[in-house]
Amino acid sequence: MLIFDQLKKNDPPLRMVALVIFCGLGLLIAGLWWVQIVSARDYQANVITQSFRTVRIPAVRGKILDRTGTNDLAENRPTYNISLYLEELRKPFEVEYLAETARERNQLKEQADAAEKKLKRKLTKEEKKQFILSSKEKANLRQKARYEVASNVVVNVSQRLQQPISLDATNFERHYLTRLALPYPVATNLNALQIARFEEQSTTRMGVDLEVQSTRIYPYQTLASHVLGCLRRDDSSAEGEEAFFSYRLPDYRGVVGVEAGNDQDLRGKAGAKSVVVNNIGYRQAENIWTPAEAGQNVVLTIDLRIQQKTEHALARYGAATRGAAVVMDVQTGDILAMASSPTLNPNHFIEGFPSGEWKRITDLRAQWNRATQENYAPGSIFKIVTGLACLEAGLDPNETINSPGYFQFRTGGKPVKDLAAPGQYNFKKALVHSSNTYFIEKGLKAGIINIIQLGQKFHLGERTGLQTRQETSGIFPSLKRVSSNWRDGDTANICIGQGEMAVTPLQVAVMISAIANNGQVLKPRLVDRIEPLDPALGVVPVVFPKGVVRNELGVRPRNLEILREAMLADVEAGGTGAKAAVPGLAICGKTGTAQVMDSHGKTIADTTWFASFAPFEKPHYAVVVMIEIEVNAGTGGNICAPIAGSIYKALLESERGTQTERAQAN
Amino acid sequence: MFEAALNERQTRIDRLQVAALCGLMLLGAAFVYSATMVTESASAAPWYNQIWVRQIIWYALGLSAAAGLCFLDYHTLARWSVVIYWGAVLLLVLVLFLGTKRFGARRWFDLGFFSLQPSEFAKLAFILAQAHFLSRPIEELRLAFTFWRALGLMLLPFILILKEPDLGSALVLLPTGLVMLYVAGTPKRYLLRLAGGVGIVGALFLVNVLFAPPGWWQIKLEDYQRQRLMVYFGVDFARGNDSVEKKAQAKHLQFEKSYQVRQALISVGSGGLTGKGWHQGNQTALGFLPPGAAHNDFIFSVIAEEKGFVGSMVVLTLYGVVLFTGIRIAGQARDRLGKLMAVGVVTLLFSHVFINIGMNIRIVPVTGIPLPLLSYGGSSVLGSLIAMGILQNVYMYRKVY
Repeated sequence: MLIFDQLKKNDPPLRMVALVIFCGLGLLIAGLWWVQIVSARDYQANVITQSFRTVRIPAVRGKILDRTGTNDLAENRPTYNISLYLEELRKPFEVEYLAETARERNQLKEQADAAEKKLKRKLTKEEKKQFILSSKEKANLRQKARYEVASNVVVNVSQRLQQPISLDATNFERHYLTRLALPYPVATNLNALQIARFEEQSTTRMGVDLEVQSTRIYPYQTLASHVLGCLRRDDSSAEGEEAFFSYRLPDYRGVVGVEAGNDQDLRGKAGAKSVVVNNIGYRQAENIWTPAEAGQNVVLTIDLRIQQKTEHALARYGAATRGAAVVMDVQTGDILAMASSPTLNPNHFIEGFPSGEWKRITDLRAQWNRATQENYAPGSIFKIVTGLACLEAGLDPNETINSPGYFQFRTGGKPVKDLAAPGQYNFKKALVHSSNTYFIEKGLKAGIINIIQLGQKFHLGERTGLQTRQETSGIFPSLKRVSSNWRDGDTANICIGQGEMAVTPLQVAVMISAIANNGQVLKPRLVDRIEPLDPALGVVPVVFPKGVVRNELGVRPRNLEILREAMLADVEAGGTGAKAAVPGLAICGKTGTAQVMDSHGKTIADTTWFASFAPFEKPHYAVVVMIEIEVNAGTGGNICAPIAGSIYKALLESERGTQTERAQAN
Repeated sequence: MFEAALNERQTRIDRLQVAALCGLMLLGAAFVYSATMVTESASAAPWYNQIWVRQIIWYALGLSAAAGLCFLDYHTLARWSVVIYWGAVLLLVLVLFLGTKRFGARRWFDLGFFSLQPSEFAKLAFILAQAHFLSRPIEELRLAFTFWRALGLMLLPFILILKEPDLGSALVLLPTGLVMLYVAGTPKRYLLRLAGGVGIVGALFLVNVLFAPPGWWQIKLEDYQRQRLMVYFGVDFARGNDSVEKKAQAKHLQFEKSYQVRQALISVGSGGLTGKGWHQGNQTALGFLPPGAAHNDFIFSVIAEEKGFVGSMVVLTLYGVVLFTGIRIAGQARDRLGKLMAVGVVTLLFSHVFINIGMNIRIVPVTGIPLPLLSYGGSSVLGSLIAMGILQNVYMYRKVY
């Protein structure tokens, strides 16, 4: 080596020194190699953990639209918040802190001087300690200084907005300690006037700025509230999403309704941004790693106009009416309207409930979707099934029986009351007047097995499969159940839709549709298609098939015709459903009034029904109305039928409206 | 006019060494810039107040001082060495009383525009005096008395600097002095005994500092010094019989105290092979490396973070070139005086480099010691360049083959 060659050969100490230096440098190189090459990854990870914070950015939630694809039932609107950007206040914090400590130190010094005067000697080192700021006191001063500065800024903002705003000390401190890298919201949900004031007077906007946030809004307020469902604040990561975030921005998740059932489509994909923080945790820079992907729009089969009219009709007896109505297309299974009363306002889940509102909701059980979520005894509307089972079992519809006005079992016991007057009844008359005696007698003759088998073909006692997470299956006895410990009395109860069975209005709508469409039990369809938020993206929407047949009844068409004719007669003058009649529309219907018993067998309330479809000639709509009433406060005929009538009127108007629109377009 | 004094066949200066020094100074200016221009307020300062500009001014002053030194034969320097030595000792004494107290230590004279750190110059004064003392006839070095006097020459500034307190600066005197004794030809037995003695005292010192239970007699050390040593040796702050609360406190304190070491290590390590790029390191910008230390004692971690392993190797190579050319100069020196001066300077430089870089990668404990020519600091830059001037001086007046 050049250098060593020039060293004097006979100077071993110098060579030794050179060797030691050589080894020392070698050791440093080895150390650096270890730290910078071998362990570099660990240290780079360290840098990331200490200077990067990841923030989850929720995606814009997709809209929920009605079947026309133009009316937003749920959408998003920007809300404006004013936030404090703490990193910009760092200097004022420090200045204020220094001022505070100086003031405090002066006071302490005065106290120390006073103490010295009193003792007439210099204080010892030990004694002086009590006149020195402890680290805890310093920390307190720091906190105080921060709050002072921040609240001054807030006062300034409040003057600008001409609205009192206060800064909560504990909230602010908590935010400072745990979410320093994020802005602190001072005023939320500003109105246009406030935004204007803020923007207008912002010459110096030290540490404050406007922030835009997307907020869910239901423009039609309570409309279709049960179908739409509601959201709950939930910032957690969805499946298949990055799970570790330092911070999460507010996000929502559907709890029930379409918001829940189609949450996956609606919520989109949350993005992530990284915030670079300094050693204290103040934000230095921001960088979006993955932008959020907006959710998709869900287009429902609900028709806004029909839904409005249906809800209006349902509120005929006041807003506190407990009931439900379902309008279904008997050919496609599309749910055109599904209403439950009393209603609630899904906006309240985002904005908060006005006082007393939550109590009203819980008292009235308003959060339950009565169209799908509650069990109701069907009462006489089940005679449709009983009657069809009897016809299938060979009943001659023209054969008449003599009804004494009640039904008495041969074995004795309490007679079953009958609202239908005593007299001669054939099938049609029995259905029109809803004769219990006729249907019990014929039902017993046909046998419980036939009735159950037919009921099962209608999928009674099973969920219809809506994705709204608010469905009950209803109750329907199984063949096994009726095979033992089953008495004729039980069969009699089933024949008139009482006893061990319960249905939901939606199940009834499916059942009626099957009668109307010649025996096809359809899967009800609530979501028509899922399409991208921005149609310009050219993504093909996912359209769900119409008229999915769940089951074929497999009954003789002639029997269905007989049934339909009888139902048509029910809505004509003299029938129990006459009040549903609409001029120019042949409606087939069946009324029902079921008793709700408590555990002692005492009647505590009634459930009234009107199940129908129209027009008779070419069935299109099924309309089912159910109202819960006080005992003996009315019947399906006079409570529900008029509501159904209003709905049919609305349907007719809507059809005519569409026709005129089409005509105008042409 | 001085050219006549020089042999025309000789190169006037060691060009290789000067080139390496220039490289180091360029790096120094660039990375002092990178380490300090991280905040808006720093960039907003007038240019003449910016730290990197001041560093360049110090380089200029240091280079002039070094060039000036070359006009003096080092023998003249040696004749004045006794005066210089006692002058330095006087300053070290004065600083204990008149110095400004910063971070609990009195190491500086505040001259308004500049803080003078006498220990930086005392190291050089010691090298001159020791070289002068040891350049006596070899027979005299065999005398125990001479050996003790040489030791005394070393221990006086050592103790004074330790008193400031400035453990790091004091410690570098030991290897410098020992190597000079060794190269001068002091008999092995003395050196072995000395090394053994220092070793035993050092070991006892460490055991006392690290493990002595409270209540026992403990060597008087500043708290931060004890804590630094404990951090380095990984000794728990908490004592075995402390309460849980106290243990938690101690643990927290330990975490805080090891902060600097950890952050320096993270800086160096995260640089990887090629680094994040000049002025791109975020450890300083985000304040994880204390802003007061980044351009100072921890400048190496800034370079290592921004230029990676490659940058570290460049720095080490430059130092290597300076060190080995220094040894070559020692080998070519005209006499023992020149050789000892050169060896002293080289050992001092090496000790600084080793300790400073070593503390960045946790090979040695954290001691406040600058990296020659790279760290910001007037006294350090001046001292280092004057030391280089001495080396060049020895080279210029080398013997001719």
